Amino acid sequence: MPILQAEHLEKTFAAASQAGAAVAAVCDVNLAIEVGECVAITGASGSGKSTLLHMLGGITRPTGGSVMLEGIDLATLDDDALALVRRRRIGFVFQRYNLLPELSLVENVALPLVLDGVPFLQSNAAAMSSLETVGMEHRAGHRPDELSGGEQQRGAIARALVAAPAIVLADEPTGALDSVNSRRVIELLHRLAIEQKQTIILVTHDASIAREAGRIIRVQDGRIESDLPSTGALRS
Amino acid sequence: MKLSQRLREPLLLRHLLFRQWRNRPGRALTTVASVAVAVGAVVATWVAADASRAGYRRLTEAIAGVPSVDVSARAGGRWDATLLPPLVDLSGVRAVVPLFYRPTLLRVGEKRVREIAVGVDVQQLVATGLLKMHSGEACTRASEVVLSSSLAEGLGKKIGDEVLFFARRGVRRLTIVGLAEPESMRWFAEGAGVIMEIVSLEDLSNAFGTIDRVRVAIESSASRDQVLAGVAARLPASLVAEVPAGRASLAEDVLHSSDLGLDFVTGLTVAMAWFIVGNAMLMNITERRRSLALVRVIGGTAGQMRRFVVGEAAILGGLGAVLGAAAGLAAAGPISAGISRALQAPAASLLVHPLVVPVSILLGTAVAVAAAWWPASQAVATDPLEALSQSPPKPAAGVSWKLIATAIVLWGVAGAILVLVIAEILPPRASVPAGIAMTLAFVAMTPVVLPFLARMCARLIPSRWHLEGTLALEQILRQPIRTALTTGVLVVAVSNGIGLGHAIRDNVDDVLGWYVRMLRADWVLTGTGQAPAAVPNISAGKGAIGTETGSMEKALAGLPDIERVEAIGITMGRVAGGACVIVSRDIPDTLPLPLNPIKATEAEVRGALARGEALAGTALARRTGIQPGDTVAVEVFGRTAEVKVAALAVDYTSGGSSLHLRRDAAQKLFGVRAADIWLVTAKPGTAASLREPLQEIAEHNSMLLRSLGDLKAFIDRIIGGVVGSLWAILGLGFVVGSLGVANTVTMNVLEKKRTLGLLRAVGMTSRQVTRMVVLESILLGVAGGLIGLVGGMSTALYIQLASQPLLGHPIRISFRPSVVAVNLGAAIIVTALAAWIPARRAARLDLLEALSSE
Repeated sequence: MPILQAEHLEKTFAAASQAGAAVAAVCDVNLAIEVGECVAITGASGSGKSTLLHMLGGITRPTGGSVMLEGIDLATLDDDALALVRRRRIGFVFQRYNLLPELSLVENVALPLVLDGVPFLQSNAAAMSSLETVGMEHRAGHRPDELSGGEQQRGAIARALVAAPAIVLADEPTGALDSVNSRRVIELLHRLAIEQKQTIILVTHDASIAREAGRIIRVQDGRIESDLPSTGALRS
Repeated sequence: MKLSQRLREPLLLRHLLFRQWRNRPGRALTTVASVAVAVGAVVATWVAADASRAGYRRLTEAIAGVPSVDVSARAGGRWDATLLPPLVDLSGVRAVVPLFYRPTLLRVGEKRVREIAVGVDVQQLVATGLLKMHSGEACTRASEVVLSSSLAEGLGKKIGDEVLFFARRGVRRLTIVGLAEPESMRWFAEGAGVIMEIVSLEDLSNAFGTIDRVRVAIESSASRDQVLAGVAARLPASLVAEVPAGRASLAEDVLHSSDLGLDFVTGLTVAMAWFIVGNAMLMNITERRRSLALVRVIGGTAGQMRRFVVGEAAILGGLGAVLGAAAGLAAAGPISAGISRALQAPAASLLVHPLVVPVSILLGTAVAVAAAWWPASQAVATDPLEALSQSPPKPAAGVSWKLIATAIVLWGVAGAILVLVIAEILPPRASVPAGIAMTLAFVAMTPVVLPFLARMCARLIPSRWHLEGTLALEQILRQPIRTALTTGVLVVAVSNGIGLGHAIRDNVDDVLGWYVRMLRADWVLTGTGQAPAAVPNISAGKGAIGTETGSMEKALAGLPDIERVEAIGITMGRVAGGACVIVSRDIPDTLPLPLNPIKATEAEVRGALARGEALAGTALARRTGIQPGDTVAVEVFGRTAEVKVAALAVDYTSGGSSLHLRRDAAQKLFGVRAADIWLVTAKPGTAASLREPLQEIAEHNSMLLRSLGDLKAFIDRIIGGVVGSLWAILGLGFVVGSLGVANTVTMNVLEKKRTLGLLRAVGMTSRQVTRMVVLESILLGVAGGLIGLVGGMSTALYIQLASQPLLGHPIRISFRPSVVAVNLGAAIIVTALAAWIPARRAARLDLLEALSSE
């Protein structure tokens, strides 16, 4: 059974004013993601790929269709239940890292566990382990503003992994990074996908990064234009 | 989730909380400061209001003597003393004093002197300190008598001398065993100068076992209303308890409206506290919307976020409340001392009700928590992606009909309660929460009218400041709720100032106008409680004693350069079952009437008074239902007479519970001749020359001589003290308002750091930034002031209407440009000053830091 399945997924944004028209950001999208797959969703700016990712991650509710994660229809869950799903079963990586500036790196990473009520020692240990995975354990006590962009993004990946999620969603994870750091992040994701069989969906507009994934879904004007296997290194 | 988990939850994110405080100490500190200012204001206002009331009480006691409550026969007249139930065990009762009065004639040598004798338990009064002896001792036997020391001096008598007392049972020879201090007799003697054992006087009057009234002396710390209720509850149906219609009631009457005003101010300060704290919480949470959204995205539930925010509010609110309570108490000391000085009342140690501190701390914490609830709910309801996008929150579109509906409901409630208060179905105090509701209705309308007012006011900004003005206006319009909360504080402060300012000034002017009309003379001689009918005749040489009542008039008239002498007598009486003051005075034909009759001409009233009819005060009429043309039974010192009421008049003697008669009519009806006040008018240009001879007459008769100027100054001081104390408390409102505005503007600057950085980066100068921030503040001040003006005039009208049942007559309401100008000016100045520091801060922001801020 696919770990993640979307059927007839739609998202329409209401017009900002009476003069404007509603915007259909995603139209009738159907896809299924198997365990351990590494999928890249690619497309031009404004094509709807990020909106699609947000619906798959339960951050935004679709206006039509359904998203099934591990057999559970996310549309049937209320806001709190969705939050629990995001906390325990989904790891999210943003383009802008989105680490809390007040907390140290290890505290940022431990946050999903803290929200779950995991005792301090346990959550701290798990966060350190996650940081080791991404090679950032030596910077655990530093605040985000003391880290480079690449380091922050690796920290964000560690946070996404700390709760051993079913799936990791990455929205333009290299969008704010230089080429060196981009390469590092992609290699990290490569290692997670191959070695730990982590299911990964990443959104990118960079075709070269998309090629590294095992499967490429191209989105245009809110619809899937193509959904093909890739020959890339991140193929599971 | 288990309860234990829920309770631990805020602690789970404590690292986040503490780090946020450490990173943004300004935000946490301004939140704490908001709560501290709010709670401090409530504490200071509460304590200052209590101090004012205590000062008023001491002031009235200083004038009237021991506070007391009277028990009388409902039907009037003397009554069987055995009907009186035990009262001395009631809380707040100092002593229970049966009183028996009778007019009498004393024979001193060849002279006969008319006097009032009062029968009391003299020993009890002396033992309890309620009667102070100048010399000698209390009388215990039927053959003994105590005289007031001033009467004895006037008669040339001393301890051990004898006087002849003419009574129903014949003439009794009495020995003077003691001389009492006149001041200490004032609270019970009602003009009497002769004190006897009550049993002896009853016996002499052939009225054994009957009394005129019982005066219940009250402890100074007790509430008169509570004692009155306690006494009334024990009395049989034939007896009634009431507040004596006394000579100090002028002060009390002025203070009735002030008392309502104090309640009003305290209640509105609590409302202001809500606005300030609510605003601070709203901005605290708005500034962190991105952090909160992020935590939600990675799995924080809405409940967790809400509990996190509310938990923080409880901690900051509790801390702020404790600091505020301490600050409020610290401020209350000087404020209370100032109020006591203004009232010229003896200063007392700071009165702090035991509930003030705990209630204020609880209130501050609860308000902070409640104020955080709605913005927290709004924050978690916001789409997290939108919150993460770093764009400012979307402005609300259109008019909120809920606000208009809220305003209409509040106005409706206020109006309904006002009608019930005027109809005397509800007590006057019920008008206080209703008046506050009406003020809050104006605040609720603020978001509706503010955009229009702000746009109109922005047009007045000089064109060279167009950019700054536009940005300032945009900030105001973009945040309607926050702006309304800030402006709400100003609206309340200005409404308070204009409303109470008008109400107080109107009331005071009315009282002053009455006083000038009543006491038109160059010199005023006032007694300390009685004026002996026998006085030295100065023109006959020192030591010679006049022989008849009227000798005082002769002595005065015998002075050179006297144009006119008028006498005023003030006597306790009962009319239509209620206590009142009988004012008997000379009414010269050549002068206007001393009172303003209602719906009757001066000529009609003058003729009626000449026929022995009376003018009734409006408060007496309202209380007893007396109408012009009614004939009422009036009882004075056991004598009852039928008197026709010719007309009603606005009067402040005894709060308007008064009946005015010509002096000759009062003498004929009740045998009252003694005068308490003598008004002496000099021939033009000669007033100053009368001071010395009048002073001599005054000293001989234990009277106080004042020029009209002195008297006006004395009254002005009392009224000035009352007004001053209220203005001090109102001023607190502006201080609180200014701190609220400063807080808002500071938080606006903190929130707009990035925007300000962008503006500076594209070329805006620091001076322009300062100007923009100050203009935003001034626009708020002007708009809030204008709304407050409308609110204030409505409040003034409301207070005057609600005071009618207390005063018994309408008061002319006027528009006072000075009061309006001072309040509006204060609002603008306060907001401009409050913006200065945050404006300078905004101008000095580090560009890179600002651009990279959240």
